[in-house]
Amino acid sequence: MSDKRAAAPDRLTESTGHDLLRAVKAHDLGRDDTLVLDFAGCSFMDSRGGAWVGRVAEIARSAGADVRIEGQQGQVADFLEMIGPGLTTAVTPRPKPMGLVERICDTTVQVVKEAGQIAELVFDALYWLIIAPFEGRGFRWDSFTTELYEMGVRAVRINCLMNFLLGLTIAMMSAAQLRSLGLDIYVADLVVIGFARELAVIMTGVVVAARTGAAITAELANMKVQEEIDALNGMGLNVSQYLVAPKLLSLVVAMPCLTALGMVMGVLGGAFWGTVVLDHRMEVWMDHTLAAATIDDVMQGLIKSFFFANVIVFVGCHNGLRVTGGSRGVGLMTTRAVVMDIFAMVVIDMAFAALLYYVLE
Amino acid sequence: MTEDGPIIEVRGLEARYGDVCVLSDVSFSVKRGEVFVILGASGCGKTTLLKHMTGLMLPTAGCVIHDGTDLTQLDEDGLALLQREIGIAFQSGALFNSMTVGENVAMPLREFRLVDEELIPYLVRLKLSLVGLADAEHRLPDALSGGMRKRAGLARAMAADPPVVYFDEPSAGLDPITAAGLDELILSLRHLLGITFVIVTHELDSIKRIADRALMLDRGVVTFLGTIDEAMASDNERVRQFFERRPDEYIMHRNI
Ligand SMILES: Nc1ncnc2c1ncn2[C@@H]1O[C@H](COP(=O)(O)OP(=O)(O)OP(=O)(O)O)[C@@H](O)[C@H]1O
Ligand SMILES: [Mg+2]
Repeated sequence: MSDKRAAAPDRLTESTGHDLLRAVKAHDLGRDDTLVLDFAGCSFMDSRGGAWVGRVAEIARSAGADVRIEGQQGQVADFLEMIGPGLTTAVTPRPKPMGLVERICDTTVQVVKEAGQIAELVFDALYWLIIAPFEGRGFRWDSFTTELYEMGVRAVRINCLMNFLLGLTIAMMSAAQLRSLGLDIYVADLVVIGFARELAVIMTGVVVAARTGAAITAELANMKVQEEIDALNGMGLNVSQYLVAPKLLSLVVAMPCLTALGMVMGVLGGAFWGTVVLDHRMEVWMDHTLAAATIDDVMQGLIKSFFFANVIVFVGCHNGLRVTGGSRGVGLMTTRAVVMDIFAMVVIDMAFAALLYYVLE
Repeated sequence: MTEDGPIIEVRGLEARYGDVCVLSDVSFSVKRGEVFVILGASGCGKTTLLKHMTGLMLPTAGCVIHDGTDLTQLDEDGLALLQREIGIAFQSGALFNSMTVGENVAMPLREFRLVDEELIPYLVRLKLSLVGLADAEHRLPDALSGGMRKRAGLARAMAADPPVVYFDEPSAGLDPITAAGLDELILSLRHLLGITFVIVTHELDSIKRIADRALMLDRGVVTFLGTIDEAMASDNERVRQFFERRPDEYIMHRNI
């Protein structure tokens, strides 16, 4: 049990703090010691000097020693009093990262929870969309029309262009193979079947996920961060009624239309290649096209696009509403929503293919 | 740079948002080491004035002279360098959401390499405990209350010990105890380190306690400039109304 003294310099600032540190380090501090910081010779200190005091106090504390400050006067005494709590409280430790098992359990719990939340959102939105209007509780038609314009009409141009270019590409690539066999007219069949069943659906899905899906998440997440969602709830308004249901209905309407348009544009892209480069007559090409595709193929595509619309709205709203962490959270959730959209679409697509392969054929 | 000249001088400042003139012909100076408050009704242009004084916005006419340098004449780099000399706490806190509170406070220190890296955690802790947030160091801003965010914003503004600190309504939304603590902190820092404070505030008690001089704006023009004692003795109708906490006439005469 002994006092180990260290004298503070005349002006304790950032640069002179090293002297104090050296004086403290010269002592071999142990469990029963008390580090006495002698401020008798110190006439001025600033915040960085204060940080030095915190630093040497930490050194003493980690060695198990006590810290006492004495001899302070004038500005230094006032300053030490002002920062007092900052020196006496120990540094709060960072929260420890989780172990592997803990992390796996945590992830599982999160996934189950999230599935529950999505299910709740789905039921809620369907209630407000289908049942509530019959009970005399309003559906927001005005917001439905603005959303329909935003999600549907304004996506037409980019969606047409993308599908046209994809149709062109597919025709180009398959023609290279089929031409050597003299079968290049079958490119027409290939393009139309591909687009009706699969390509238009996926391409439109990607376009809409990137446009609308991202927009939905960013909008709702920002509303959540700015407490606008709380404000809605606080007025007794329901988020599902106000935001989710109109978006759901408008995308469910818009998406199959966009997909149908995508099919037409894809076929036109193929036809462009077939007539301009492969030198087939337009009538021949179109006869082949129409003979190859059945209404079932088109229906299959449109049904899938209906499911995709649901996925995009629910995934988007869900991710937007569960945002935490302010502006960065908004970015993370938007990314997550688009990735989830595309993943879910591919899985649904695969499930359809499996269904057709094993059950219906 | 004379030691006792004004640290900030605003001359004939005019500010516009598009066609709307928000400030016109505002002139005043702030002395070194004083607490200068800017008063005025909501929407009269106080935040706009602060943004011009800190170089975040450029005036359409007039100039702002900070320690002998005209802010309006500086290029981007010069302005950035000068802005390191000032601390700004915004009305809403304006913390970076992706960082913990402690990282927010450490940010100006780290970015400008102002302080020895190993000293930073202690300086951060010191600043946070000054505003009573020592426990919140590792929390994200998202998980703080509005008042806590505001205090964290103050800690960040003061992190690098700037000689001039601007506060936009530091005590709005704080309880009287915390607000009073903040007043004392401002007085201590002014007294112990000679920091100059420019503060926008509406709290009458706080103004009486801390302010040396005051500027009062009314719809973008200066209605009063002088010491607090002068302000309270002023016979300007608008100033008296402010200090006596009287509503406008038309509201007084409204029958309920
Ligand atoms: N970005 C902007 N564009 C157009 N006008 C603006 C903008 N920001 C502020 N204004 C207008 O300028 C005026 C002054 O705004 P300012 O934010 O400076 O007010 P204030 O005095 O800080 O008010 P408060 O006490 O409510 O914070 C207001 O009338 C406001 O409507
Ligand atoms: Mg303001």
